[in-house]
Amino acid sequence: MTLPKFEYFAPESLEEAQQLLLNKAEGAHLLAGGTDLLVKMNHGLLKPASLIALKHIKGLEEITFDPKNGLKIGATALLANVAAHPDILEHYPAVAAAARETANVQIRNMGTVAGNLCNAAPSADNAPTLLAMNAEVLISGAKGERRLPLDQFFKGPGANALDSDEILSAILVPAPDSDSGVSYQHISARGKVDISAVCVGVMVRMEGDICRDVRIFLGAVAPVPMRAVKTEATVLNQQLTEEIIEKAGIAALDESQPITDVRSSADYRKKMVAVLTRRALTEARDRALNS
Amino acid sequence: MEQFSIVGKDVPRNDAVAKARGSAIYTDDMKLPGMLFGQILRSPVAHARIIKIDTGKAEALPGVKSVITGKDIPKVKYGNWRLFADTQDEYALAVDKVRFIGDEVAAVAAIDRETVREALELIEVEYEELEGVYDIDASIKEGAPVIHDYCPGNISVNRKIEYGDIEKGFAESDYVREDTFKVQAVSHAYLEPCSALAQVDLDGRITLWTSTQVPYIVQCLLASTLEMRENDIRVVKPFVGGGFGGKMELRTWEFCAAFMAKQTGRPVKFTLSREEEFLTGRRRHPMTLHSKVGFKKDGSLMAKDLRIILDGGAYNAMGPTATFLCGNFGAMLYRYPNYRFHGRHAYTNKPPASAMRGFGAPQSLYASEIQMNLAAEALGIDPVDLRLKNAQVSGDEIPDVATISSCGFIESIEAVVKMSDWKRLRKELKPGQGIGIGCYSFITGGVFNWFNTQYPFSAAEVRAFSDGTVHLLTMASDIGQGCDTVMKQILAEELGLQMEDIRITSADTATTPQADLGAWGSRVTLMAGNAVIDAAKKIKEKLFGALSAFLNANVIYEMECKNGMVQPKNRSKKAVPFGDVVAMVQKAKRGEPLIAHGYYTPRDKGLVTPAFGFGAQIALVDVDRETGKVDVKQMWTAHDCGTVINPKGVEGQLAGSIQMGLGYALSEQFVMQDGKTLNTNFLDYKMPTAMDMPPSAVTHIDTYEPEGPMGAKECGEGLASPTAPAISDAVYHATGYRCKDLPITPEKILKSMENDT
Amino acid sequence: MKHPIELKINGDTYSLAVDPWRTLNEVLREDLNLTGTKLGCGSGDCGACTVLVNGRSVSSCLTLALEVQGKEIQTVEGLAPSGSELHPIQEAFVETGAIQCGFCTSGMEMSAAYILSQNSSPTEQEIREGLSGHLCRCTGYIQIVEAVSEAANKMKQS
Repeated sequence: MTLPKFEYFAPESLEEAQQLLLNKAEGAHLLAGGTDLLVKMNHGLLKPASLIALKHIKGLEEITFDPKNGLKIGATALLANVAAHPDILEHYPAVAAAARETANVQIRNMGTVAGNLCNAAPSADNAPTLLAMNAEVLISGAKGERRLPLDQFFKGPGANALDSDEILSAILVPAPDSDSGVSYQHISARGKVDISAVCVGVMVRMEGDICRDVRIFLGAVAPVPMRAVKTEATVLNQQLTEEIIEKAGIAALDESQPITDVRSSADYRKKMVAVLTRRALTEARDRALNS
Repeated sequence: MEQFSIVGKDVPRNDAVAKARGSAIYTDDMKLPGMLFGQILRSPVAHARIIKIDTGKAEALPGVKSVITGKDIPKVKYGNWRLFADTQDEYALAVDKVRFIGDEVAAVAAIDRETVREALELIEVEYEELEGVYDIDASIKEGAPVIHDYCPGNISVNRKIEYGDIEKGFAESDYVREDTFKVQAVSHAYLEPCSALAQVDLDGRITLWTSTQVPYIVQCLLASTLEMRENDIRVVKPFVGGGFGGKMELRTWEFCAAFMAKQTGRPVKFTLSREEEFLTGRRRHPMTLHSKVGFKKDGSLMAKDLRIILDGGAYNAMGPTATFLCGNFGAMLYRYPNYRFHGRHAYTNKPPASAMRGFGAPQSLYASEIQMNLAAEALGIDPVDLRLKNAQVSGDEIPDVATISSCGFIESIEAVVKMSDWKRLRKELKPGQGIGIGCYSFITGGVFNWFNTQYPFSAAEVRAFSDGTVHLLTMASDIGQGCDTVMKQILAEELGLQMEDIRITSADTATTPQADLGAWGSRVTLMAGNAVIDAAKKIKEKLFGALSAFLNANVIYEMECKNGMVQPKNRSKKAVPFGDVVAMVQKAKRGEPLIAHGYYTPRDKGLVTPAFGFGAQIALVDVDRETGKVDVKQMWTAHDCGTVINPKGVEGQLAGSIQMGLGYALSEQFVMQDGKTLNTNFLDYKMPTAMDMPPSAVTHIDTYEPEGPMGAKECGEGLASPTAPAISDAVYHATGYRCKDLPITPEKILKSMENDT
Repeated sequence: MKHPIELKINGDTYSLAVDPWRTLNEVLREDLNLTGTKLGCGSGDCGACTVLVNGRSVSSCLTLALEVQGKEIQTVEGLAPSGSELHPIQEAFVETGAIQCGFCTSGMEMSAAYILSQNSSPTEQEIREGLSGHLCRCTGYIQIVEAVSEAANKMKQS
């Protein structure tokens, strides 16, 4: 098996990278960890004329946190580093969990959270929790820098909101509210190392036992990670009892639009949406109440 | 139990250090000067006539040295069942038709992989698509498209077995039931993709290094397809990264490598991608099994009528053997006074199914075992007791097949029942938890000479030296199961030597003695082992004769080889070092080296196998009743493999077979759409990882197989069968879902539980 | 166009001219004849191609050779301290029967090295998780997990 031929560039700054993107235009593709990109190229699904490697840009791999501004995950921050970062483990445990559950050890030592998002698979493991936590992406392009809410970043299966001259340079996640809790749940057909058939990210903010804020995102059951708006409405300003949560699960089942593919059937995915949404709401609630 | 010094001990494998260092050479690791890279062009359509192939642009691409299609090769079909020429239905490259997506149409050899890839894209093939059939029902229907012209009904093998009086048996039964089971195709999924490297030797003959289980079979069939003499082809087996039955035939890339090496004068190497392996590699036969069984109300089996249709895919491959064996296995484990079997092997336009660990037993025994449990429930008898009541024992005669010469089946059942606390758990587990049993029996090599070899089934050459070492040569193929080590252990035991005293050369058709049929059907330990013992006996005869003459005693002593010495039995004061006695033998014959040959072919052992292995397995599961996910919490296994020659080797076979059985039961399957395989990578072909494996407890049942070397018989292939039925039964116990259609997916469990409520 | 690069492998430096599309796996196996690292799938799922780069386990089949210039690369050939001694991990693999066909072995050993570099006393569960990126069809993983445990003991003693 060989990769198709391409030119390779290793810019040392974002500006240099952008310049290359502009020059190489249509045939150019960004390379972070390469764990999705190279697989696609091996199978003939992509034949970029040039690859622009991002890993040599100093500082782009940084992960920083401060209680006021929240978390910043650089574009080339490894999944393994996100999964093990002390600040993420403490303040964003569901984000760490999602990173830890992505692929396998070696892929996590190479691949990036940003890459997982840019690849824009509906099943992207890292999307639901970041969406649930109101993340934004920082985008650098020829016209300068812009911030985009993550829930506007996914355009379709494999399609993201980046223009051809743009680079996602960081993921920004606001500091979580003190009485909030986040949960990540996923399931697949095999045991424990697999691509998710369904994944769910939930954030709830509690006031006593009433849910005052909720964000529910479902992965792999729609063309993009989708916000379960109707489901959210069933729990907002409600007591998060077992009964309400059960109903929310069913609402999520109804709201989701999964397809049948090689990994799972639409029918099973729908059932799992209900189960995982329930479990995620329960865990998020319990985390919020214990925080 | 005999006391052995090396057999039965945890001797490290003779190649473990090389593999640990990464210095073991597998076929794709090899490079030769001037080597070309080869790749195959495969059909994108499932059933079509080839109208035209234009290779002009590919041939013109700089760096391309050879492009071949079906029109360039001798029109000689091949297939392993040489005894029946009409079962040989494959050409190396399609001659007029393609019959499955992935069927081999052309091959290119070029100076590097990029060029080969480009060249393949330049070959233009015009197909006239034909209607395809993708399942058994469609294929055997009246008027279905004919896949092979010689076989208009698409059924290429018909096998019948009958003994007793089947109608009478059912008539006398108190309880009769009929069930239909379906089992799926799975992949061998060996970690090392197939690879073949051929060169033309300095004398114009061909040497082929290939990742194979059967160098001898490849040699013979390559000779016939290349229209050369067998002895003009040398096949050498390097280290092989697993086979499990998927590498036991001549394959297109082996032929192409050899043909193109001849044509270009340069070495040619083909290595398959994992995608190719999944798309077009062999598979275990999917089967539809209709089984009717009759019992007396006390649980005694009266009769069984088994009808199986095998989904063979586009070519026969090892289908005929699977068709035969699944019928034999239908009559194993339990005593069936009356038995009838009809097996049919059907063509479909899918990748060919072939031999895979168990060779028909995993499928056949799945049906048997689940049906036993269904019957047990209906009869109000514990599934274990029903088995014990009907279990085969040593001395039982299977009509027209064999007499069972050693059998630890009942002991196996009793052992797992005890280990697992079966009786209590069967009653006390909570909903969602379950415990189930599955049993197996298996052959130890086959008797039937379907390859029509003129040679003994196994052969060994032993050369003894005056420095106290020996050289063992055998064509037996170590593909990771460890037979090189086992053969050395057997020889070391026989000659009283240490492992370090023995050099082994194996699996080279030009230097190791004719012949060995290869690594399949669990034949190697018994057959090659017996050949080694035969050779060792002849060496010992000479040694004992020389020592007797030397000692010149006036009584006749029985001699033995022990601790590196040759001595009268138990008289170590008269011991002489092994090497010195070899020197005596040589001296007595004017310096001629001491060499002996040993052979083994089963004799008077019926038509199926010289010996049977048995065992039982119990699985404990926890089913998440919201998601349907099955967590296997524990496996208990008891198995009878006769004498254990290498304990860690046996443990390893068991653990590996649990991994395979787990996948077969719960997660492995090919997702097909009109003949196209949709899951062609390890992400979507779901095989268990280290995270999925349950804890496992094992008991070895001590028996002695008279036909086996030091009492040993098969281990590791029989074990491919019990895991799926054990898990299936446990899932039933946990959820009420009785799976008659593998694999047991979470979705099926949930659907079944829904239907119950 | 080939790029001239220097690769540091097992402590040795190699100067090569490499096309951008060559993976580290190909360069190791074909250009440098370091065939101990295997190729099982080409898509990062089986672990047979695992090597260490700056101490981390990665899939060499998905790593461009150009990307690892200047980094410390360790392959299975660099594990053993000499031709006559084995690394404790290799000793453990040999002793526990963890090696059957051997094709997954080099990758497993490299990941074992990574696991033990992060955690000198991993639990069985941690070992299994650490090996989650490896497939083995022969051994059922059981003796391999034992081997890593045994290696941990050996390494603590020495």
